Amino acid sequence: MSSPVSKFTQAEVTSAQPYRRQIVGLPLQRSLFAQTARAATTIGLPGLTSELDFPARLDENGDLFLDRSQVGALTEALLSWFTPETLELMHTKHATACAALVDASENGARSAASLDDAAARELSEDLADRTALVMVYGILSKFVPDVLLRALADARDVEPPPFPEKSAGSELTRDMLTLYQACCALDYEPQRLQHEWPHVSPEAFRLVSEFCNRQRGFGPLAWDSPGYEDPNYVVRLLHSAFHEVDAEEVRQRLSFARGPAVARSAEAPKRVAALRRVLALWLDFLERETWYVRRAFYVGMVPLLQQLAAGYRQEIPSFRISDLLFLDIGELAGGIADPVAIHARRHRYMENTEYLSLHGIDAHRLATMLESR
Amino acid sequence: MSAESSTTVLSGLAAAPGCASGKAYVIRNAEDIMAVPAGAILVIRILHPHLAPLLPRVAGLVVEEGAILQHATTLARECSIPAVVGIRDARTLLHDGDFLKVDGYTGKVVAKHVA
Repeated sequence: MSSPVSKFTQAEVTSAQPYRRQIVGLPLQRSLFAQTARAATTIGLPGLTSELDFPARLDENGDLFLDRSQVGALTEALLSWFTPETLELMHTKHATACAALVDASENGARSAASLDDAAARELSEDLADRTALVMVYGILSKFVPDVLLRALADARDVEPPPFPEKSAGSELTRDMLTLYQACCALDYEPQRLQHEWPHVSPEAFRLVSEFCNRQRGFGPLAWDSPGYEDPNYVVRLLHSAFHEVDAEEVRQRLSFARGPAVARSAEAPKRVAALRRVLALWLDFLERETWYVRRAFYVGMVPLLQQLAAGYRQEIPSFRISDLLFLDIGELAGGIADPVAIHARRHRYMENTEYLSLHGIDAHRLATMLESR
Repeated sequence: MSAESSTTVLSGLAAAPGCASGKAYVIRNAEDIMAVPAGAILVIRILHPHLAPLLPRVAGLVVEEGAILQHATTLARECSIPAVVGIRDARTLLHDGDFLKVDGYTGKVVAKHVA
């Protein structure tokens, strides 16, 4: 797989410390990172006109590298670029990319079963492109919010940052607390629920399943790491979160959470108001960036992979649906599947016990993560 | 027999106001989130939103990731949990069971290690 930022020399790559280690292990997901440099050139920011400008790359081990000098150059370019008009453009492009990925995810779920192979491949590629675009914002979120905060400080704005009033995380907590209380009302304390799952009452089963469907997308960035789409994960987390905790106290704690300072509008200078509005979007995005990427996979991509797997099985009888996770997106879109290459990649993945342990991936995970629910 | 102990003071960024103390619980891999003790000080590389339901059971947060504008800041403020971020290598410097005092006003973490 070619490096998305080819101006890194081998010496620079090997001597640099990863920004984060082993964040993504599946070849299919890794290949989306390889598209981010190209996608970054489409978002209209200064200093990102060439693929070579993008400061991040992912290596074969799933380690993320961030070029600090490029981050510095982008920071300076942004600081001298911010005007009310450019900030509005930045806001619109960012919000549109996120909304388009949500739409594409839903479209994949809605239409996968009715598509022929060619159409399913096309939709998979489109979903991957839109995911890569949102991942660009995910990379930029490591420093752009700080650049906006610095611009506000330079403009002598002294208000606190516009943190989300009800963050995605607190909404998730509220929903999980509601699930906990509903299960307790059915006499399923978390310990019992975990012990007996999935052999629980139909009502308890329905409550957990509906929660999983509602919150599908929350979880770690790595698709293969268990998250809220998985009832087993949810019932275990339910126990960890609420065991020996006073539920009413939790609810009050969340209810009394102080709201953030809202963006000033009328009295603030136009540029400051625009900076705060864009920063508010980024702070909200920080809470949802992983959700977008994970939801795209579990809502949109999994049904498409299920659809495509049937075609592969006709050509390769031993083909398993999880083999698709060991293709890159170009191979998936092109209908290419080399059993020898897939086997080698799977073997390498399964041999990486450090990665599997870090992400809580057991022997059955690859099969169960692609099941219909 | 008394256990040997030593005290370390670590400095980070004050991310969410308040002070808290308790025993450290260090998150090193995905499985560790399934056994967070109530009242612990959570020591973690980065706090993602999907871990938010664990927050109401912890007393404080120590986060390795450096930026003040991050998930942990938002979540800790919402739950009124004192938090210090930007303590690099916190998961190496601190160990399960260390007694921690987290000052979310100054960004200081005082750790009493018990051998």
